[in-house]
Amino acid sequence: MSWQVHLPALLLAVPLLGAFLAPLTALGGKGLRNTWFVLVSAAFTVIAFLLWTRVGSTGTAIYVMGGQGWNLALPSGMSIPVRILMEVDAFSAFMVLLSAVAALAGALFSIAFMDRFSGLEKFVALYFLMVTGMFGMEITGDFFNFFVFLEISSVASFGLVAFWRDRGEALEAAFKYMLVSTLGALMVLVAVAFLYSKYNVVNMATLGKVIEWGMVEKTALVLFLTALAMKCGAVPMHMWMPDAYAEAPAGVTCALIAVSQASLYGLFRVTYTIFGAFMGSPVIPWVIIVLGVLSMFIGVSMAVIQKEVGRLIAYHSVSQVGYMLLGFGVGLLALSDARAMAEYGFTALKGGIYHIVNYTMYKGLLFLSAGALYYATGCRNLNDMGGLGRKMPKTMVLFMIAAAAIAGLPPFNGFVSKLYLYESTFAVHPILAVFAMVTSVLTLASFVKIFQTAFLGPALKKFENVREVPGTMLIGMSVLGVAILALSLFPTWSVNHLVEPAAKALVDQASYVGAVFAASLTGGGL
Amino acid sequence: MWDQILTGFGYWDVYAWISFFLIAGGMVFLIRSLGRKDYKQGSDQDEIFFGSNPVPEDGEDLKVPASSAYWGYTQALKPFYDVLVGFHTGIATDYAGWYILVTALVALLILL
Amino acid sequence: MTGNFPYLVVGILFVMGFIGIVFEKNLMKIAIAVSVVEAATNLFIITLGYRSGGSIPVWTMAGSGSSRMVLPTPQALTLTAIVIGLATTALMLSFAMSIYRHYGSLDVRDVRRLRG
Repeated sequence: MSWQVHLPALLLAVPLLGAFLAPLTALGGKGLRNTWFVLVSAAFTVIAFLLWTRVGSTGTAIYVMGGQGWNLALPSGMSIPVRILMEVDAFSAFMVLLSAVAALAGALFSIAFMDRFSGLEKFVALYFLMVTGMFGMEITGDFFNFFVFLEISSVASFGLVAFWRDRGEALEAAFKYMLVSTLGALMVLVAVAFLYSKYNVVNMATLGKVIEWGMVEKTALVLFLTALAMKCGAVPMHMWMPDAYAEAPAGVTCALIAVSQASLYGLFRVTYTIFGAFMGSPVIPWVIIVLGVLSMFIGVSMAVIQKEVGRLIAYHSVSQVGYMLLGFGVGLLALSDARAMAEYGFTALKGGIYHIVNYTMYKGLLFLSAGALYYATGCRNLNDMGGLGRKMPKTMVLFMIAAAAIAGLPPFNGFVSKLYLYESTFAVHPILAVFAMVTSVLTLASFVKIFQTAFLGPALKKFENVREVPGTMLIGMSVLGVAILALSLFPTWSVNHLVEPAAKALVDQASYVGAVFAASLTGGGL
Repeated sequence: MWDQILTGFGYWDVYAWISFFLIAGGMVFLIRSLGRKDYKQGSDQDEIFFGSNPVPEDGEDLKVPASSAYWGYTQALKPFYDVLVGFHTGIATDYAGWYILVTALVALLILL
Repeated sequence: MTGNFPYLVVGILFVMGFIGIVFEKNLMKIAIAVSVVEAATNLFIITLGYRSGGSIPVWTMAGSGSSRMVLPTPQALTLTAIVIGLATTALMLSFAMSIYRHYGSLDVRDVRRLRG
């Protein structure tokens, strides 16, 4: 038994410890706090990487909190997993890895970015709590813990969005985000209660085994679907997203992206793993597809006319999430039909998953470079900016990489996932692919707008004293920049090692269910 | 590692693109090197042409602001954008209302 | 015998909460409406686990006479949900308070600098 079986628990314990010890670092001053911030972030990134490699080599990891196995001390004749269970399959491990990278980049960036403000030990504590909640959502094996981790990450992120509480707008954004988010989380809880009322279990794998297609399940599915789609910003429930993303400090927004991807993960865990082939109607896949198309198109249309950098990029988040919903929706539509699955469903799914990793990397980098612009100039409005390319060449290069990737300019990675999506959605209905392409064109248009008005143009007098941002911020941005370049230059590797295992795990409902029950026979996952 | 990605319909080859950009870049530099080298540095040939007016000192006076970008596009689609911007009211209860409405709508679709 | 009466109450509370969230204009009242939805959720879960005539869900070697017990899991869920609800309500009210300092109003129609 190697120590590596404890990786799922460590993944939660390390950021949680980081969060609770962060206020104490105030005693040691700035240096100690920053060291702690970087150290814990690096630690959970390493753990996430190890977990990913372990799941890749030994298959789905089951971890039972505080016991040898979930069937220990059960009354005889019962075979329901009762303990707190972590189940990490290839899809979870993939999500954990890329959330960890985004959170690490956000943490590195925040050190210098937040340096002028006070109360940073609380910032660090909230940041780690949010990261804990995010990881928890991605590796938990039961629904109630999913709700708990969802609330942990949400409540911590409300606090972080409102961190600049001297700005009324930040408080306003936090309140709006909080209102819809709390309501959504409560609906998740109601959905859990509905499933519990029928099956008396909250364990995901057990539910996946016994679930049928009835009234109760339909209600629960709808509540899950809309709550989690709202959390990842599907139109028309997206309005909190530009508010919150633009008002949160940039490093936090980078991690918030990963949090919204964790909600997306929850959505697909529910639809693929719990319901999956049991889903007796094509209504839900089509709802996801329609939400995706609406998000893509309305999100990008709103982005083109925005004047604030943060809001513009945040509206792009809405439209990029639309791509993923489209891909996953098409995959779900083809799930019960083996021929359609082989023809276009699996490609769409791969496109959706590939887009998750691309999106997390380039969108994080875009928000960080918007934050760098704000840090250097103090403006948020694009109308006030200009000629910054001369002053901040490194930021400009990093921004260019991210903008080219999101717009799907070859040879960057953004195009590869979009190519998968175009070709597979075309097989379902050509109009879907047309929407996806128009969205891509408008995306390019709005990033040309930012690039032209912020970085190009004549040098402005008021920006004479603007300097390149400090080194740690550049390091934080470079983490994501290098990730984008690596994904672009080695597309075959990333598809074979990152995307395909995750896509296979997502469609293989039986192995997710089977892993838990197999673990009980061998005396648990330990 | 150096293979192409097959998508089922076509393929993606990043190295073909990189070689394309290298060749295109080489051609750009070739064309640029054919340009005239006999302009007089420091003379008026070096100056920005600003409608034969003196170039303003501060860049603020000659830059194009972001709100002017895509003016024609937004003007042409004004009815669409009026609806779209009006839809983003910014009122917190509307946000919650949309969420409840969508939930109700999806529930109707699936339960009936 | 309570029958389905608790579910009726849960339904009424949900509707009241939703109406409050959508139609109230005061931030404090919106926060109260969110608490009402929370209470409805908690009541819903606890009702699911109730068995009429059931005893507390603790096994003892001595035996407690009745083997009919209320379900323990919903109680644990509700306890956690109440704690989370406390945190969100407190945070929401403090946001409302700080918003009043900045905007001079608690009307949700005035708190809309971010739009479009």
